[in-house]
Amino acid sequence: MGANIYRNKKPVLVFLAPALLFMAVYLYYPFLKNILNSFMDIKQLGRPGTSFNSPWYANYAEMFRDPNVWIAIKNTLLMMVVTLIGQVGIAMVLALMVDNIGRGKQFFKTVFFFPIVISATALGLLFNLIFLYDKGMINQILEAFGKSQLTDWKAEGIALFTMMLPVMWQYVGFYFVILVTGLNNISDELYEAAKIDGASTWQKVRYISIPLLHNVICTCSVLAVTGALKVFDLPWTMFPKGMPLKTTFLTGTYMYYHTMETKNVDYGSALAVLIVVLGIILSKVVNSIFREKDY
Amino acid sequence: MRKRIIAAMLAGIMVMSVTACGKSADAGGAAGKKPVELTVTTTFAGEDTNAQNYKDAVKAWEAKSGNVVVDTSASSDETFKTRVTTDFETGSEPDVLFFFNGADANSFIEAGKVLSIDEIREEYPDYVSNMNDDLIPGSLVDGKKYAVPVNGYWEAMFINTEILEAAGVEKPGADYTMEMFKEDCEKIKAAGYTPIAAALGNIPHYWWEFAIFNHQSPATHLEIPASVDDENGQAWVAGMNDIKELYELGYFPENTLSATDDETFAMFTEGKAAFLIDGSWKVGGIVGSCQSDPEDASTLDADKLAKFDVTYVPGNGDRKATDLVGGLSSGYYITRKAWDDPEKRAAAVDFVQYMTSDSVVPAFAEHAASALKDAPEVDPSKFNDLQVKAIEMMAGATSLTGAAQDLFQGDCRVSTFDGMPEIVTGKVDAADAVAEGLAVYHNQ
Repeated sequence: MGANIYRNKKPVLVFLAPALLFMAVYLYYPFLKNILNSFMDIKQLGRPGTSFNSPWYANYAEMFRDPNVWIAIKNTLLMMVVTLIGQVGIAMVLALMVDNIGRGKQFFKTVFFFPIVISATALGLLFNLIFLYDKGMINQILEAFGKSQLTDWKAEGIALFTMMLPVMWQYVGFYFVILVTGLNNISDELYEAAKIDGASTWQKVRYISIPLLHNVICTCSVLAVTGALKVFDLPWTMFPKGMPLKTTFLTGTYMYYHTMETKNVDYGSALAVLIVVLGIILSKVVNSIFREKDY
Repeated sequence: MRKRIIAAMLAGIMVMSVTACGKSADAGGAAGKKPVELTVTTTFAGEDTNAQNYKDAVKAWEAKSGNVVVDTSASSDETFKTRVTTDFETGSEPDVLFFFNGADANSFIEAGKVLSIDEIREEYPDYVSNMNDDLIPGSLVDGKKYAVPVNGYWEAMFINTEILEAAGVEKPGADYTMEMFKEDCEKIKAAGYTPIAAALGNIPHYWWEFAIFNHQSPATHLEIPASVDDENGQAWVAGMNDIKELYELGYFPENTLSATDDETFAMFTEGKAAFLIDGSWKVGGIVGSCQSDPEDASTLDADKLAKFDVTYVPGNGDRKATDLVGGLSSGYYITRKAWDDPEKRAAAVDFVQYMTSDSVVPAFAEHAASALKDAPEVDPSKFNDLQVKAIEMMAGATSLTGAAQDLFQGDCRVSTFDGMPEIVTGKVDAADAVAEGLAVYHNQ
């Protein structure tokens, strides 16, 4: 009797059905509907498309002509590089340093993780004040050091840096915690053996910590790259409408801009499809590059 | 056994809760008529000058009628407009809304989701009978009047007189021209100040409106050009090029392409920029910047407020400086959803009647116009210094024309509104931007 209950799969289906239904209604149906919308003429949010575009693929053809699409893709790819190097890289350095200190590990874990619990919109507003042109924190500090001219941190040449820095800073703590946990899982015996053999701290990091963290680093890298595709709220809060001169659009912010601001809903739908396609391709590429090893 | 006892206790609590709910509803009904819950959406929120007036009026109506208002008001911006339109499309519209009467309202009027004033009067003959119907704007869809206006608006040029004095510039008057304006800007710039407070990358709307108006007349301003090559189309191009010229002359803030409207407004109130073109709703914002507590009028620094004034936007050609942009662009709508609900119909009508009554409208209208038949005499002693100056400025207006951008809505705006930075920096030709916008407009 006891073993038979595991053979009957019907109860399992009953428990899985609500989740499946939820996914179908709130994810798969909207996704398929969005693909259909991208071929239709919809000029108002919430209004259904009544006719197909002429030609039906007009939005996809427009994407190739629209310079802002290429700017958004380029910026998103740049964001991926920044998240990889800036988030995972810095988190790695911090994790290794914290792992090598005797006391205060918990303190640093809390401090570095803290930005994660603040909403991205609040952080965007915070960094708006930090980078404010007139009376912003950084410009005031520079003024105190004798700089007479104010710096426009949101000007065309420097805007991308100003946008990516807070995004990078926000998630360092997230990867830091994952990497510290990974380091904790490495047996102390290996380090003790290396110490007996006369290995320096750098050698222990180079030949024990990093190789044994390989799978954790791969997971972090995949999360960072796919996460970069979804970055939206902080950049939009700091640089609405791709300001300045539409140079700071990311794929997500550009899709939102067309859907919510210009009411070009069908084009926004087409951009959403592009984001999904980009996401699938990049996930495949990243997964093949950062392939996990079996130990 | 223990679990069963806990389950029985929980069930008992639930039964008692349900019974209690039922009793409280019965109690309400026994006390008199059952309160009606009206959902209302307006733009009287955030920094709107009338946000507090609205709260007070709603409270007074609730006390008088015994009904309840579920307020979902929000600051007027594109997100708010989208929310309202989407609510109508998805059938979750409010019972009453205070909204724009221009092209923004076309979608729900076309769908028959709001009632015209005449339709309401068939059952309530005295509905808003205190209003002068001739002053209520008709819908762009069918010419019928749907929205009952409360307060009008005007757009003009606010000035920081402290900067003007420091730069040796006189207060602009009724004969102010663009040439005089440019001369003044040059003096202000030479004195080390920013002449114009405007965020061209964020809110170019006011400059867009007046720059175009300056190449038209009050009679032609509301005609959307058929093409970029016709007379009106060329006026639009000339307007865009005027803004470009001012940008190239360095009269806008250095960060005008990357700043927000709040930042450039702060430059104006903090004595760093001299001119600000904006609407009547900004009077409250300027007054608020002169109070140590923006919520408390008694903390007003009258000396600081005295440094601000409001005058006419420099004119050009057939548009005199005293030809203003303004009118009654918003009003109260009753939705068909509320009308078809027998419990809500009377409450919705009563709410709009109250909010547009002779006793409530003057508090909202203040220095702006209203559509009341018997508008009370304005008592200047009740107004602050800037409101008095606004009344004086309005007294000299020679015409009040609606905003062309209220007719030019949606995707068509992108090339000249969001595209303003590209136009002023020369990355996009003004004629191309106007042509692109008009093409989208005529294909909508």
